[in-house]
Amino acid sequence: MNYEMFDAKKIIGEVTAAEADLNPGIVVVSTDSAPRTGMGEFIAKYPDRYYEVGIMEQAGAGVSAGLATTSKTPVFCAPAPFTTARPFEMFKIDIGYMRQNVKVIGRNCGFNYSDLGPTHFGLEDMALVRLIPGVVILAPMDASQLRGAMRAMLRCEGPVYLRIGTAPIPKIFDDGDFEIGKGFVVREGSDVAIITTGEISRNVFEAAEKLAAEGINVMVVAMPTVSPIDEELVIRAARQTGRIITVEEHFVVGGLGSAVCEVCAESSPVPVKRLGVPMEFLSAGQYTDLVKHCKLDADGIAETVKAFINNP
Amino acid sequence: MKTDDIRELERIAARCRQNVLRMVRANGSGHLGPAYSCIDIVTALYFHAMNIDPQNPKKEDRDIFILSAGHKGMAQYAVLAEAGFFDKSLLDTFGHFKSPLPGHPDMHKLPGIEASTGSLGHGMNIACGVALGKRQDGLGSRVFVIVGDGELAEGSNWEAAAIAAHYRLDNLVLFLDHNGLQISGKTKDVMSFEPIAKHFEGFGWAAREIDGNNMAEIVAAIDSVPFEKGKPSLIVANTIKGKGFSRAENQVGYHYWNPSAEEMALAEKELEDLLMGMRT
Repeated sequence: MNYEMFDAKKIIGEVTAAEADLNPGIVVVSTDSAPRTGMGEFIAKYPDRYYEVGIMEQAGAGVSAGLATTSKTPVFCAPAPFTTARPFEMFKIDIGYMRQNVKVIGRNCGFNYSDLGPTHFGLEDMALVRLIPGVVILAPMDASQLRGAMRAMLRCEGPVYLRIGTAPIPKIFDDGDFEIGKGFVVREGSDVAIITTGEISRNVFEAAEKLAAEGINVMVVAMPTVSPIDEELVIRAARQTGRIITVEEHFVVGGLGSAVCEVCAESSPVPVKRLGVPMEFLSAGQYTDLVKHCKLDADGIAETVKAFINNP
Repeated sequence: MKTDDIRELERIAARCRQNVLRMVRANGSGHLGPAYSCIDIVTALYFHAMNIDPQNPKKEDRDIFILSAGHKGMAQYAVLAEAGFFDKSLLDTFGHFKSPLPGHPDMHKLPGIEASTGSLGHGMNIACGVALGKRQDGLGSRVFVIVGDGELAEGSNWEAAAIAAHYRLDNLVLFLDHNGLQISGKTKDVMSFEPIAKHFEGFGWAAREIDGNNMAEIVAAIDSVPFEKGKPSLIVANTIKGKGFSRAENQVGYHYWNPSAEEMALAEKELEDLLMGMRT
């Protein structure tokens, strides 16, 4: 499918700068990371609201929490492993337990830094943040959602984690408001439901088209908020199709797949297949090769759907 | 409420130590040694130095105190209660289920608590963020932090040491509660960070060393901050762990105290005698 492509970093930067015009409390905290997160415009416009702390992620989280005490809305941005795994305890206590109004961005999530390997893969970020009570997790799926999610994140009260890759992202959906906590049905179907999140979902949409051509009707559910998950929608998908596949660029443990399993197990038990990154330290490589290896490309997703339908 | 009278501050500190005993009695145990070592400093901050209002604990231009070593929380509760931030009867709930006074302070449970601490090495970075935000607001507020000397081993403190100096946070004051003891023994034997003041000065701080259980020295040090314009201030407060109960002083075994009734009575008696002697 041919979509118009956008630079995710540019969108992050544009929305932050625009919201900063409206909210003088917005500040940016960087661990040698903000300029590469698209914050150049913000930094040029508001140099006195930009706090560079160097490559010190524990400090990045703690300083952000302290700034929030003075009624600021700090945006702490860095590659996903370095805003989540590295300073996890500071995220848990200083931001989560203290319920500070800090907005954390984990860019280059998934295996976006594909050639660098597991040190820079962000494949457990959602699992970690899901363990912190009260933190919202957003994983926008396209350029329009990223714009909306950034705006919603900066305007809501409380801690939020937003994960995003930085490869060019397509514009799939129309621009509009982003409602935190709500998923939506992209395509109705009855044979199986695919629930997906993040930028990898474009491959799900493509797979659904392929499968439709083969007479398999896939319900596709978009879940750009992973926590709190839209339980009502998961239950609806389970009841409507009787089986669910989750698709995410994240370990199969702890992320969207786990969240969906938890809802289904308690409220509407159906077989669930979790398609994501297997629990192993993957090789570095080209992004497309990694996606293919994990069967997260459209063909891999379609193949998984067929196998699951035939042998759930 | 604020006073410059050293004798009066000493009397308040003694009453605060009584408040600590009241909490230990309620819970059956508590971090007596760490609370007693820093309680003179906390008393001086709330009753002499800080711009605070117990009736309006969130007022915008307030000074902020962060107890990084959250296990010393009884010291802060004792002083907050004495200052009127909450009713003293709450001291009797210390450590109880759903009490606003957990062993480690929770900022959402009690007025006057500015950060939820207890896990070591968090307070300094939070304090740097507060100091940056306060400076951005131009309110002239100051930020005071207490870090324990054992706690200093957490690397996150040194991240904050760099940030405070880099940003020239002269509205930030760090009290290093240097009682020389931690759970496993003497801090210099467990992991030495001596000479502490020199290390901070190397980062770009201005440092002074005082007797941290001597009220006159504490007040004089606080009254002189910032020690240098454009630099964060470190006060290395040489303290005695357990100061205020003779049996506990300098005894690592009193880090966490499970007193017998007899020992509690002794501790109470010592404070009563001390206060009696202070009446004149």
